[in-house]
Amino acid sequence: MAQSHDQHQDNHHDGQHHAVPYSEHVRTLVALLFLTAITVVVSVFGAALSTLSVFTALFIATVKVVVVAYYFMHLKYEKKIYSGLVLLVGVLFVALSVLTALEYLNR
Amino acid sequence: MATATAQVNYLEAKKGIMSWLFSVDHKRIGLMYLYALITFFLVGVTLGLLMRYELLNPGKDLVEAKTYNQIFTLHGVIMIFLFIIPSIPAVFGNFFLPIMLGTDDVSFPRLNLLSWWVYIIGAIMALSTLVFGDGPADTGWTFYAPYSVKTGTNVTMSVLAAFVLGFSSILTGLNFIVTIHRLRAPGMSFTKMPLFAWALYATSWIQLLATPIIGITLLMIVAERTLGVGLFDPSIGGDPILYQHLFWIYSHPAVYIMALPAFGVISELLPTFSHRTIFGYKAIAYSSLAIAFVGYFIWGHHMFTSGMSGTARFIFSMLTFLVAIPTAIKVFNWVATLYKGSIDVQTPLLYALAFIFQFMIGGFTGLILGALATDIHLHDTYFVVGHFHYVMFGGTGFAFFGALHYWYPKIWGRMYNKLVANIAFVIFFIGFNTLYFPMFISGLMGMPRRYYDYLPEFHIPNIISTVGSWILALGLILMIVNLIVGRFRGRKVTERDPWGGITLEWQTPTPPPVQNFDRLPELPKNGPYDYEHKPQIKD
Repeated sequence: MAQSHDQHQDNHHDGQHHAVPYSEHVRTLVALLFLTAITVVVSVFGAALSTLSVFTALFIATVKVVVVAYYFMHLKYEKKIYSGLVLLVGVLFVALSVLTALEYLNR
Repeated sequence: MATATAQVNYLEAKKGIMSWLFSVDHKRIGLMYLYALITFFLVGVTLGLLMRYELLNPGKDLVEAKTYNQIFTLHGVIMIFLFIIPSIPAVFGNFFLPIMLGTDDVSFPRLNLLSWWVYIIGAIMALSTLVFGDGPADTGWTFYAPYSVKTGTNVTMSVLAAFVLGFSSILTGLNFIVTIHRLRAPGMSFTKMPLFAWALYATSWIQLLATPIIGITLLMIVAERTLGVGLFDPSIGGDPILYQHLFWIYSHPAVYIMALPAFGVISELLPTFSHRTIFGYKAIAYSSLAIAFVGYFIWGHHMFTSGMSGTARFIFSMLTFLVAIPTAIKVFNWVATLYKGSIDVQTPLLYALAFIFQFMIGGFTGLILGALATDIHLHDTYFVVGHFHYVMFGGTGFAFFGALHYWYPKIWGRMYNKLVANIAFVIFFIGFNTLYFPMFISGLMGMPRRYYDYLPEFHIPNIISTVGSWILALGLILMIVNLIVGRFRGRKVTERDPWGGITLEWQTPTPPPVQNFDRLPELPKNGPYDYEHKPQIKD
């Protein structure tokens, strides 16, 4: 057999075990809670912002996704190709939404 | 790693039904998928034969109109969600991907077993619609709103079944992506991977990214049916075209979940039976990714007559033609692989050649449907039914059976009767084309699909099609009986490489041991199809 399961995993991590300090987790949590609070505030005053409130909520949600992926899901410590793959997924989502919206607006 | 445990082949390692049902061995899980898939496929075939019998003559032959609607819906749901979407990845991907990559299992073996169980639960839910409530859904497999919101048949259970089956698909795709990234043998870079692995990689990305969209869409139908939320029904403020968008945003890429693994199989069969390097390795590999990518942006061609905006129709038609380019790249490279090869005509090669012939017919008729003007005439006619059966059955179905005949000796350590297999192929091939080709004619003449009755001028093509369905069934029965008999009474195969293949599964013992390899596999010097530097394999 070429290699066992565990050996493979170790090789791909190249033995670099990244120890993440608790303070980083706490800072990330605080940032997420802060962004959640902003989302709530925007929704409360949403009527005044009109359409802008939807875009603000979407923008904040996007920032939260990036923070979770980057810190909690350890994308920060992975090779760049994995960040690229996640970015590609984001681009795909935006492209599908835009194409559908274009059809609706031109109907 | 030549331990005693590693030498025991996976079929004999453990005994008893529980050792199969709860096995985390990717090979056993692959086989469990195979047995389940073939069972559901035969149910789907039976429903198809009933439909064809009903259409033998105009008017009622066998069933009422409503029953006919339920039969074709269940036929579609079973064939799409229970057979062809999981087919090649779940069976041959599970069994051979880790071996081809030179590793001992997929990245998440328990998740792999969970995928199978989720698949079985989804299948039971789909089939339960036969016996509960007002019978199976009568909407067609597309569950188009607003009819799917209003009909009294078992739509809720059917869409929940499809929702659950989607999870199985997502988990398998996730497992394969991680396996390909993390568990390749040392020295096997991405460009030294077999093309079957490339095809599964592209497929897995679609499974992972597109399936959640259908999941949430189907739940929206349930929400509308049970809670009255106005999402798709215009009478309560919904938009039926939105449903079609969401449905096809998944279901068109899903066509490539069905087709790409078949491309991978063909890319394995042709070099093995031509005994030469595949032509245009990188072109074939990257075209899989290109098809997966472009395939996301062409869903609107299913909706040209739905009331979609003119701008969108124009854009989707243009984009649809783009997907023909990477597909044609593959076909040209396959044909070039055959050129000047030492061709060994064996049963799997016959299926591969039939695949190319039939898939080309399916592909070209797809271009006719992708063109706006012709689609207006042909939309929802039998031309469409002929087209997608040529792609899905004539393409993926034939590749599935080609793969089954190809890897059969490696999986079971036995060989089927080759003469009977060839005869079954010929009958199957004739039956297939007799069944589906007349549909192009009746479709061009204007016969609509999904009707249980038709005008007298469509009678002759329908008679031919129905006779074709009987020939096809005969070929299928002969093929399956031959494979079952071969499993128990066929010649024992002990050599590692009975076909003269080159990828790593042909370096393992036959059948493979639990840990897949009994010695370090050797990669060919210049890529996976380097027949000039083929490693010497000793049995």
